[in-house]
Amino acid sequence: MFVDQLFLALIVLPFAGAILAATLNGHAKTSVRIAFTVSSLSSLLGLAVAFLIFLDGEMRWELPFSSPFGPLSFYLDTLAAFFLGTISVVTFAVSVYSFGYANHYEGKYPVGLLGAMFNIFFSSMVMVVSSSNAILFLIMWETMSLSSFFLVIFEHRQEGTVGSGLFYLIMTHIGTAAIGMGLLLMYVNSGSFDLSSFPGAAQGMSDVLRSAVFLLWLVGFGAKAGIVPLHVWLPMAHPAAPSNVSALMSAVMVKTAIYMLIRCCFGLLGVQDTWWGITVLAIGCVSALLGVMYALIESDIKRMLAFSTVENVGIMLIALGVAMVFGSYGLKELAGLALIACLMHVLSHALFKSLLFMGAGSVLLATHTKDMERLGGLAKRMPYTGAMFLIGALSASAIPPLSGFISEWLIFQAMLQSFSIPDAMVKILITVALGTLAITGALAAAAFLKVFGITFLARPRSRDADEAREVPKSMLLGMGLMAALCVLAGVLSFAILPGLDQVSAPLAGASIADSLVNGIEIVPTVGEFSQASPPLIAVIILAVMGLVLTLSQAYGGRRKVVRADTWDCGTPLTARTEYSGRGFSNPINRMFSWVYRPIRTFRATRSPSPYIRTEMRYTSTTQPVFEKYLYGPTEAGVRWAAKKISVIQTGSIQTYLGYIFVVLVLLLVALRL
Amino acid sequence: MVNDLSLDTINALAALILLADFMLVASSRMRSLTRIFALQSLAMGGLAAVVAFETGVGHIYVVAVLSIALKAVVIPRFIDYTADKIQVNREVEPLVKIPGSLLICAAITMLAYFVTEPIMELGTAITSNCLAISFATVLIGMFMMVSRRKAITEVVGLLVVENGVFLAAVSTTYSMPMVVELGVFFDIFVGVIIMGVFAFRINRTFETVDSTVLRRLKD
Repeated sequence: MFVDQLFLALIVLPFAGAILAATLNGHAKTSVRIAFTVSSLSSLLGLAVAFLIFLDGEMRWELPFSSPFGPLSFYLDTLAAFFLGTISVVTFAVSVYSFGYANHYEGKYPVGLLGAMFNIFFSSMVMVVSSSNAILFLIMWETMSLSSFFLVIFEHRQEGTVGSGLFYLIMTHIGTAAIGMGLLLMYVNSGSFDLSSFPGAAQGMSDVLRSAVFLLWLVGFGAKAGIVPLHVWLPMAHPAAPSNVSALMSAVMVKTAIYMLIRCCFGLLGVQDTWWGITVLAIGCVSALLGVMYALIESDIKRMLAFSTVENVGIMLIALGVAMVFGSYGLKELAGLALIACLMHVLSHALFKSLLFMGAGSVLLATHTKDMERLGGLAKRMPYTGAMFLIGALSASAIPPLSGFISEWLIFQAMLQSFSIPDAMVKILITVALGTLAITGALAAAAFLKVFGITFLARPRSRDADEAREVPKSMLLGMGLMAALCVLAGVLSFAILPGLDQVSAPLAGASIADSLVNGIEIVPTVGEFSQASPPLIAVIILAVMGLVLTLSQAYGGRRKVVRADTWDCGTPLTARTEYSGRGFSNPINRMFSWVYRPIRTFRATRSPSPYIRTEMRYTSTTQPVFEKYLYGPTEAGVRWAAKKISVIQTGSIQTYLGYIFVVLVLLLVALRL
Repeated sequence: MVNDLSLDTINALAALILLADFMLVASSRMRSLTRIFALQSLAMGGLAAVVAFETGVGHIYVVAVLSIALKAVVIPRFIDYTADKIQVNREVEPLVKIPGSLLICAAITMLAYFVTEPIMELGTAITSNCLAISFATVLIGMFMMVSRRKAITEVVGLLVVENGVFLAAVSTTYSMPMVVELGVFFDIFVGVIIMGVFAFRINRTFETVDSTVLRRLKD
């Protein structure tokens, strides 16, 4: 079949590109061109495969050789195709962006290897979502983790990069261990490594065992997705990685974990207890709230975006949790609605987060800093980057009619429908989650207001920011593509949602496409509850803006433009008198000081008069709560245990042989008895 | 019908092998160690030859000849040569004293019979009695490796383990396929040579072949 051949090409092409780019490492320019041409071509291939599967249904394909773990098969249904499509779109834009971005590493770092790893990374993500054999999946999952690890430590001469990378490596392996255990438990019960045999096996498993598998997978995939408290690696690894890589990691790699959670909960384990959904919902709420709170006080752009990823993963989990709760009560249509909302958020987050990370990369390239407090005034110096970053920030703040609004609105609608649930306790819990989601949305808007306002508006706070220039065209093109998609995915969401219904229908058990979309209106099921029409909202917003402008022009009369200095109270207006990022977030920092646990010090030098202070110093640092209270003790415990266990490492060959001898004898006796 | 004479010969040779195990553990001199090992290998080769004669499987003859040539002649000489060259003193230096070692070996032998009992009952091969002895030989070889101090005694221990494995193969399945057998011989030969070279190295670096000194290498 045609799809099979495309898929084969999709596997072969990136590997060929990776090998070629790595061999041509010496010729930086050529290798960059080859690597990113290949990755953009293969992402187009991926998009084509995804489209064909949406048109023709599923695809199954096997590697033409056998393995001890059964056939190494690939299986793509609409769910996998949706994620394949998302991965491909983002990779395409990021590849285009990388043509310009990777050039600045020339002469400093081996760019050919960056391109090679980039291709392998893309390929491994494709195979993670498409593999249908547990062992093949684990291999690809590891390839994905390792290739992203190498990409994170690419700028290894920067201080702290390797440390962040290693932390990421450890966290991701803890996750892989949990995932592997879960898969093996399923294998023991099904007798086959093929994922398609797992649903049948899950039916025959005891409740305890099934729940154990669920929890293992939740922890394992949660570590990759960045749920609180396993999120600590995100704000370390994302800023350390090159920006095009952080765009890919944050926008799509994290989503592979969401993909697997959806697949596992709805596809593989099938039958769901209500508490599963509640657990996912609770984790989602905590992640969303803490993620956005830390994002708000962060002054490093990329760290802020990483925390925002934690928040958005939380939102996706809230939607997923609600879908699972609805599913457990047999409310198939509502489960479908929540799942569609989750998928829509996956899509919109992939779009705006890759856009924002690319924007942050452009800022970093132009100013050599990620610290907001040293930026400012970039909107004038980098107008296109600024405009596109604004679109991303608006989408992330869920401002209609952008894509972020549609997804969050759908999640709200799905949660508001929880009155159909018979259990009062669950209803209350979902209402609490609804409140959490609401405050998360508000804080997210504040956080993005801060990051855009401080970085792009006002006057530059440092020379670097003052001397910033617009970035190369290829980078603008990559960002422009994503910005356009952010707008289109919002305005044309009435066309996208039926596609998502095709994804969710087999999982939730009911198709709601007919009732969900009415012309250009979106109607979240169950009668006359509510509806929205994104294109109409767009038109209204534009119309209102035009109207305000015209009215103010018409009735305000012509204003005379006077050019003069601003009244400055006698002190010259410099960058130091500007509103700082820390100042902006300080009210919230104080309000939630029980979360942030800030350490504030204030020192003033003594002077003759209390009214004239010669020097004042104020410092405020946020304590890394999770590092201090969770990871610190854990690490100390592991070290202590290792020291205790190291007693058996005597260094004498005879002892080691003795261990083997004793074990052998014991085994023989045990087998005989 | 199995020839009684052959059966007796096989059992006698197997007993000799077991006896050699005990002699190995009891000997306190390096020289006698290699000689007893040569004797054991000779018995092993003889046993293989009788099995070959009895079963008519041609390639076991080859194995028997190779076994005698390599393990009864070449390797013991090589070990002696190495020992002379690095002038290791003649004491064996056991970690467990010889009487204690002998008692442990007796226990090991009983364990071997205990473990193999159900298999021997099922056994139809003419040599099925040898299985227990092969187990005992493997375990005693390992015990030698654990309880003796010098690098060269470790090598002899490993060779005894190999002899035990060989005996098990011959006694249960009338030896492994030719290719495997040749591979094993080659392995052993190369292994012994490498260990000889290492003994030189260790001797030169630490001025001793006492492998307990290697504990300095940990961490």
